[in-house]
Amino acid sequence: MSEKGKQRDTEEQAILEIRDVSVAYDGLVAVNGVSFCVRRGDIIAIIGPNGAGKTTLLKLITGLLRPSGGEIWLKQQRVDRVAPHRIASLGVTQVFQDIQLFSNMSVVENVMAGCHVWTGASFLSTGLRLPHSRAEERNISDTALRKLSLVGLGQKAFYSPSSLSWGEQKRVGLARALAAGADLLLLDEPYGGLIAEEIGKLSQLLLELQHRGITILMVEQLTDVVLDIANQVVVLRYGEKIADGTAAEIQGNEQVIATYLGNGPLEGDER
Amino acid sequence: MRTVKEKIRALLSGREHRMVLALFAVVLMTVPLVAGPYGVIVMVDVGLYSIVTMGLILLMGFAGQISLGQGVFFGLGAYMSGIITTRCGLSPWLVLLVAAVAAGAVAIVVGRALVRLRGLIVAGVTLALNLVFCSLVVSLRDLTGGATGLPLIPRLPLGGFAPSNTLFSYYVVWIVAILLLVFSLNLVNSRTGRALKSVNLLAGGSEDTAQVLGVDIIRYKVQVFAVGAIYASIAGSLYAHYTGCIEPGAFGVHFSVLVAIMAIIGGMTSPWGAFLGAGLIVSVNEALREVMPAVVGGSTGAYELIAYGSILVATLLFLPQGLMSIWRRLQPQERFR
Ligand SMILES: Nc1ncnc2c1ncn2[C@@H]1O[C@H](COP(=O)(O)OP(=O)(O)OP(=O)(O)O)[C@@H](O)[C@H]1O
Ligand SMILES: [Mg+2]
Repeated sequence: MSEKGKQRDTEEQAILEIRDVSVAYDGLVAVNGVSFCVRRGDIIAIIGPNGAGKTTLLKLITGLLRPSGGEIWLKQQRVDRVAPHRIASLGVTQVFQDIQLFSNMSVVENVMAGCHVWTGASFLSTGLRLPHSRAEERNISDTALRKLSLVGLGQKAFYSPSSLSWGEQKRVGLARALAAGADLLLLDEPYGGLIAEEIGKLSQLLLELQHRGITILMVEQLTDVVLDIANQVVVLRYGEKIADGTAAEIQGNEQVIATYLGNGPLEGDER
Repeated sequence: MRTVKEKIRALLSGREHRMVLALFAVVLMTVPLVAGPYGVIVMVDVGLYSIVTMGLILLMGFAGQISLGQGVFFGLGAYMSGIITTRCGLSPWLVLLVAAVAAGAVAIVVGRALVRLRGLIVAGVTLALNLVFCSLVVSLRDLTGGATGLPLIPRLPLGGFAPSNTLFSYYVVWIVAILLLVFSLNLVNSRTGRALKSVNLLAGGSEDTAQVLGVDIIRYKVQVFAVGAIYASIAGSLYAHYTGCIEPGAFGVHFSVLVAIMAIIGGMTSPWGAFLGAGLIVSVNEALREVMPAVVGGSTGAYELIAYGSILVATLLFLPQGLMSIWRRLQPQERFR
């Protein structure tokens, strides 16, 4: 196959393409000219030390931040000037680093809120409980319960989120995102703060989701777990991409070794 | 033991509320039989305040948008009903609906401007709008009757025959209040209610999360603002036909602040809170009006203010979730909050 043909092939498989994207907070450049591609069905990990711009990059993808330069293409659509709720309706959602469960709702309501994007009953229709809205609500509650069971929290449906452990809260956050039915899931440090047995379970779950056809883009500090399950790893440092490849490839990359092991700035190092 | 699934079904179907609702309705329908004329008059007030407060609970308690300007929409409803029925002789019932739609439309325009502002600024701007509204009413004397008021507003008709005004108003106000309660309960236990709660920055919502879950936050905030305005407008129309004469003082900042206090005291996490808040404040008001002149003489205005203030502070200190939270605490275990 010619070089060109190969390139078109990967483009067609790409569910998400980041092209030379940059953004700054009041002069501080948080993401600087980053480009990479996410193939449909992959688990891709973005790793890098604290302050590398990982969270910022996710917010750019979901539209919560607008890039000052570059383009973001999602499923052959340019989305870097599109409102976040519209990007969500294209089948992308994000679980935040701090999860942000809605504390004014029960656990199951949180997950039901995740179903918003694929449902459509209006103010009037829900207020009058028209048949359409009633059927939709049944569908929503069934979906929410399925997702809660999937993460093993079916019995805590009516708990208040604040009464759950950190690990359980993270699972609710994941269930809520899954309820949205997105086929591209952005996870900000999904392993952060988990205890050993939860880590193994999460990896299993993520692989199962991948098996079901969901593309996962996750952000992590460098961990062996992530390198184990990721098909592709992008390494960020000071807002710039310093490596991109399979786990084996980036583990041999000199810049990566310098960043994490050598003289380069270590984790927790802020500019 | 009910399964989780059954519990959710019950919650969504409104079955949970049905018994309480039926009881509530029966009690209200029998009140006039036992309360006497004075009690009925007080209860009409409670009903009118409850309707406005319920709208504000949706806006402030669910969506987290503070408004100190509900008097504008209460007034819009009252003046539209008053002016159109006295001048054009259209059916008051029809005008009530038209006024509600018009108030909703005004609210959409205002809401779009307000939606990008934050918490306390919105409170300030709505308060200012209320002041502007009142001075507009005063200055448009030819239309509104100015400061002296708009008299001779017809009663609400019932077919051909004219029932006793107070008693009839009582039933109309409370039937409307119960219908709006059902609408509100449906709303809050649905997709719409969850979307509103998800944008509530005052109580555990998160705009970022709401958006990545597909919630158009601006649209929901504007729509719930309109819903609150429609509730207030309906109450305003009913009020105009009930009193027969309206003057700007009834729609001032005093009214708006009182409604906000009722919402906070009643409890902003449920539409039911409206009845508790309105009931308590109107009762206290009436009690003061009876008792204070006998004790100290003179006008009671200042004591009302002190009483409202004390109740508000006590609520915030001891029942930050309002009177509704007492009910919640009495519910059996694992119920959320
Ligand atoms: N809202 C903000 N305003 C100003 N600067 C910000 C803001 N958010 C992040 N930054 C800065 O931008 C840079 C990148 O932040 P970002 O949160 O994207 O890093 P990260 O890789 O997710 O870090 P961590 O591993 O700590 O989560 C950091 O220097 C951070 O201090
Ligand atoms: Mg981060």
